[in-house]
Amino acid sequence: MKRLGVDVGGTFTDFFYIDEETGAIVLNKVPTTPTDPSVGVMAGALEVCDMAGVPASGIDQFFHGTTIATNIIIEHNGSKTGMITTEGYRDIIYIARHKRPLNFSLRQDLPWQKHVLVDRRNRLPVHERVIAPQGEVLVPLAEDEVREAVRKLKAEQVESIAVCFLFSFLNPEHELRVREIIEEEWPGVYVSLSHEVIPQFREYYRFTTTCLNCYMGPKVSRYVNNLASAMKQEGFGAELHLMQSSGGVATLEGALSRPVTLLMSGPIAGLIGGIWAGRNAGFANVITLDVGGTSADIGVAPSGEMRMKHLLDTKIGDYDAMVPMVDIDTIGAGGGSVAFVDEGGMFRVGPRSAGAEPGPACYRRGGLEPTATDANLTLGRLNPNNFLGGRMTLDPSLSEKAFDDHLLPQLNMDRVDAALGAIKILEAAMMNSIEMNSVRKGYDPRDFALVAFGGAGPLHACQIARELSIPAVVIPPNPGITSALGLLATDIAYDYSKTELMFISDPDLEKLSADFAELEREATERLRKDGMSDDRIVLQRLADCRYFGQGYELRVGVDSGGAITGATITSLRDAFDQAHLQQYKTLNPESEVQIVNIRVMGFGGMPKLEWQPLGKGKAVPVDGALTARREVVFQVDGATREFDTPIMTGRSSLPATR
Amino acid sequence: MYRRVEVDPVTLNVLGGAFNAIASDMAQVLYRMAYSSIIRESEDIGAGIYDTDARELCESASTPMHVGSIPGYLRGIMKVLGDDIDDGDVILHNHPYFGGSHSPDVCVAIPIFYEGKLIAFAANTAHWIDTGGAYPGLNVDVVDVWAEAKLLKAIKIDEKGVRNKQVERFLFDNVRTPTNDRGDMEAQIASCRVGRERFLGLIERYGLDVVMSAADHWMDYAERMLRAEIEKVPDGTYHSEGWLDDDGKNRDVHLKVSVDVTIEGSDITIDLSNSSPQVATSYNVPFDGSTLVAAHYIVRTIFLDEATTGKYVPQNEGIFRPITVIAPEGNIFNPRFPASCTSRFMQCQRMADCVILALADVIPERVTAGNSAHAYAIVYSGYVPERQQYWVNLEVSEGAYGAMLGKDGTDAVDNLIANTRNNPIEDLDWHYPMRNLRYELRPDPPAPGKWRGGLSIIRENQFLGEGFVSIESDRHYEKPVGLFGGQPGMTGALTLNPGTEREEKWYSKITGARVAPGDILRIESPCGGGYGDALERDPEAVLKDFLDELFDAEHAQQYYGVVIDEDMLVVDTSATSRLRSER
Repeated sequence: MKRLGVDVGGTFTDFFYIDEETGAIVLNKVPTTPTDPSVGVMAGALEVCDMAGVPASGIDQFFHGTTIATNIIIEHNGSKTGMITTEGYRDIIYIARHKRPLNFSLRQDLPWQKHVLVDRRNRLPVHERVIAPQGEVLVPLAEDEVREAVRKLKAEQVESIAVCFLFSFLNPEHELRVREIIEEEWPGVYVSLSHEVIPQFREYYRFTTTCLNCYMGPKVSRYVNNLASAMKQEGFGAELHLMQSSGGVATLEGALSRPVTLLMSGPIAGLIGGIWAGRNAGFANVITLDVGGTSADIGVAPSGEMRMKHLLDTKIGDYDAMVPMVDIDTIGAGGGSVAFVDEGGMFRVGPRSAGAEPGPACYRRGGLEPTATDANLTLGRLNPNNFLGGRMTLDPSLSEKAFDDHLLPQLNMDRVDAALGAIKILEAAMMNSIEMNSVRKGYDPRDFALVAFGGAGPLHACQIARELSIPAVVIPPNPGITSALGLLATDIAYDYSKTELMFISDPDLEKLSADFAELEREATERLRKDGMSDDRIVLQRLADCRYFGQGYELRVGVDSGGAITGATITSLRDAFDQAHLQQYKTLNPESEVQIVNIRVMGFGGMPKLEWQPLGKGKAVPVDGALTARREVVFQVDGATREFDTPIMTGRSSLPATR
Repeated sequence: MYRRVEVDPVTLNVLGGAFNAIASDMAQVLYRMAYSSIIRESEDIGAGIYDTDARELCESASTPMHVGSIPGYLRGIMKVLGDDIDDGDVILHNHPYFGGSHSPDVCVAIPIFYEGKLIAFAANTAHWIDTGGAYPGLNVDVVDVWAEAKLLKAIKIDEKGVRNKQVERFLFDNVRTPTNDRGDMEAQIASCRVGRERFLGLIERYGLDVVMSAADHWMDYAERMLRAEIEKVPDGTYHSEGWLDDDGKNRDVHLKVSVDVTIEGSDITIDLSNSSPQVATSYNVPFDGSTLVAAHYIVRTIFLDEATTGKYVPQNEGIFRPITVIAPEGNIFNPRFPASCTSRFMQCQRMADCVILALADVIPERVTAGNSAHAYAIVYSGYVPERQQYWVNLEVSEGAYGAMLGKDGTDAVDNLIANTRNNPIEDLDWHYPMRNLRYELRPDPPAPGKWRGGLSIIRENQFLGEGFVSIESDRHYEKPVGLFGGQPGMTGALTLNPGTEREEKWYSKITGARVAPGDILRIESPCGGGYGDALERDPEAVLKDFLDELFDAEHAQQYYGVVIDEDMLVVDTSATSRLRSER
């Protein structure tokens, strides 16, 4: 099978191609084209085909990861969104859970209020009410109010409309009717219904997730559609697969209906690639640091296992997004992060990024403000003539000018100190995140290796590792394409679920059997469509259960592939008690157990990704590794000065060469 | 018990993080396992690890009034039990005159033994939905401490690992919500076991001396950090005072909260001596478990604000050291046994608000204008004959912050010592015989100021069956004050059946009122005060609030001197400067 992984970052688009039969590998990296990233994807993919000597139609699998969705949220530049909601509940997304993130603070900002996803003026309540537990209609939908609201939102020129009614997951008829009315009044506008985005109770999470879907939806759909049609045009026959926040992949249709599941898509591919690289270097416990142009993603994987977040703890940036999500932290700190002085006179770096266009000042694309990359260039840490392996030339004088024009007048320091300061601020943000996710969760960084990748990760890894006492740093070969590689280092996985709300003491065996069978049929069909032969398909049955009265569920496996029998239920009950015992050190055999959701995970096994190991290193550089010496600024023992620094090429320097 | 040793900086950092993680894990177990929505949704709990002197090593980031109170409970437990503490014991405690915060907050403590010696406690507190007082769930107008709850004075529910079935039966036969209380107690026990296991894991890995020395270090560090900030304020005594509504029985007899804050070097003293004497209802504040806790909370919050302090400073015993609190016995902040003292939250909030306001002139950049400094703690309940139990639902409504230098007051959020979460509407409607009809921002203008006060919420709950309501709150009498020319905020209001001929205005404290099917209770929470002259407010900020329909153009003109062109929806700048210059 010939497989291609493509990761679109905020700044660069990376490619990793492998032919499993011959073992041939092709790597590529092109600048991201932000106005339409599919342009860069296609250009780079065709280059890969060229290098590999295969036609576009010869690619069997096309896997794609993107930080586009995530960056929209972090940079607060999503679509202007409107909301139609139940009368009396205009401010649910603004009030949130009324709990402060910080206990001990008067001056904190509430992120969901400071950057509210939908302005109050565009949150329009209409009369309607569905009630629990059967979903009866208490107040019929005021259709004239809906029509008026749609017209108002059209006049306001919103780009998308979130429809969020109470209890819509019990009875969706009002939300569905609103969609019909919107189609009559304003055909083509982007619409999300809360019961379709996440059919679960707890209105604040459902509403916020739906608004997120609308906030990023138009931009993400435009992009994915462009890409799919460009692929078709260029002759790529393989179906487009997108990495999801759950660590599994989605097809084009799946991704378009719920772009919110594409959050963290790129970062998770990076984490998977980082775990893979760490394991190949002999480290099971890894902390991954993936620094791109716009953001840094930090993952902690004890024993090489990705950790999942609890469904009510899943956040993207500062917002609660109720989608299955791998535990990973994203901060707005990357090579393109802009260094500036804020209103309060504070020297800051990021989260605003110059991205790829115009990019850092030194890119010579019209960027004027200094960025982290400009700081690294100013300090001599980047070679202006060997950027992107020599495919791009940087102009240090533009970096210097950016510092001189935009920072030095406001900061009482010289250019070198300002550049060093910018790097320190950037690294402090990264260290803080690593500490939050390792030390503060009880993991000792001294037991871990730091796997650093992405365009800018390795530049900062050693300093960070030293300060946090992480004993080993792993820099994968071609660190810039680790996320693209990660896309191919995981199995295909789909998740199908259904809400049951059934007592274990009184199970409807027929319904459970039929529902499980239906979910399995969907999963199998999906995987076959992806070209999986039946021997590579693995199905897993799960149930989310709780003791009746509890508010949170535990996920347990369900035995037997065929019909659900009394014996299956008995062992499910045992499995739940045991899971409760393991998780909470206690169980309650007298208490009633409730099945809340059933779930089928369908996996399509992928061949192991192999990479030829490098040889063992020596204390002296091998011939040809040393390519140059130049002056690089470092701060050592508090003193800042230039050091005569040997420069070695990564391609021929072996491990432990120093 | 242990030898203090040098600990290298990396280990210190790791252990500091591990302490934090243990407390956080303990809290997670409690939320996830619990049955009552006040625990699993509102997260009205505290959890942490404490040494044998009841010094706090770490606490969960849950509700401030809970977490800071556990040392008081443990001192009470040790006072009662002395050496009679064994491995495998599980101790229940809620006695307000033995360190308890108030009787509904039940503490579960598990001793941690290492090599046969008691070295620490894993403990948590959680709000039990009913503890068998005179009225379901919440008791304001009651005669004494025995009327407010079943008192648990260091009761061993497990002795040396064996459950005491008689005690268990007695306890759960004497509360109205045995299923919930039992499930919540088991969750608390499980949470403590997780704490014990993880703490012992640390000791096995790093050694007792290193772990405890690291804890000492973190306490010293927190103390140093707090002292450094207190020291920056000029020495002196700063005063502020306010008036509470009444005690819930003697209506409209206002009660004084008087605060004198004395700064002397790096020490701070909060003197409450001139506050009201204790009252005849449960509207009194247990000193160890609540007065101290609220004072510690507000001092740390003002001086080491987590949002503006660059460094991570853990909340532990070290924070308490620079702070002295004075309230003589017989004061509302230090009642004499056996006065009832379960309704203690509002006085603590107002005390915290007064501490902030007392310091306004010396540290105007760190304070807020008057806060809602309150909460509506409302218990809805009813009897379910077929289960021979009550359903009881406790709802804590948010408030809003006063405005600050450079920043509007925060809207619709738990204020000061409160930091719970709201219960989802879909949970309330699904699980109780009630229906919510409205929950959104209060439809009144926020308090004008150069920075405006925070806006709070309006909420309407309807009863679908017969039931009781009890309410603990305040702020129906005195508005949150404005600062430096800002306007005052708004008082709160409770209205039964608003807009009907059966409309009733309710006092802020209600004890066991009967309600009928169809009755609607409207709750309007108080709003924070403004900061600075409203005529100096950025006109674009005024326009934004206008567009978001917080007030109309007339209001903008009258209070802010901002003229809005209602056709173009922009600020009429020349008319605005003209109007502002005339005033």
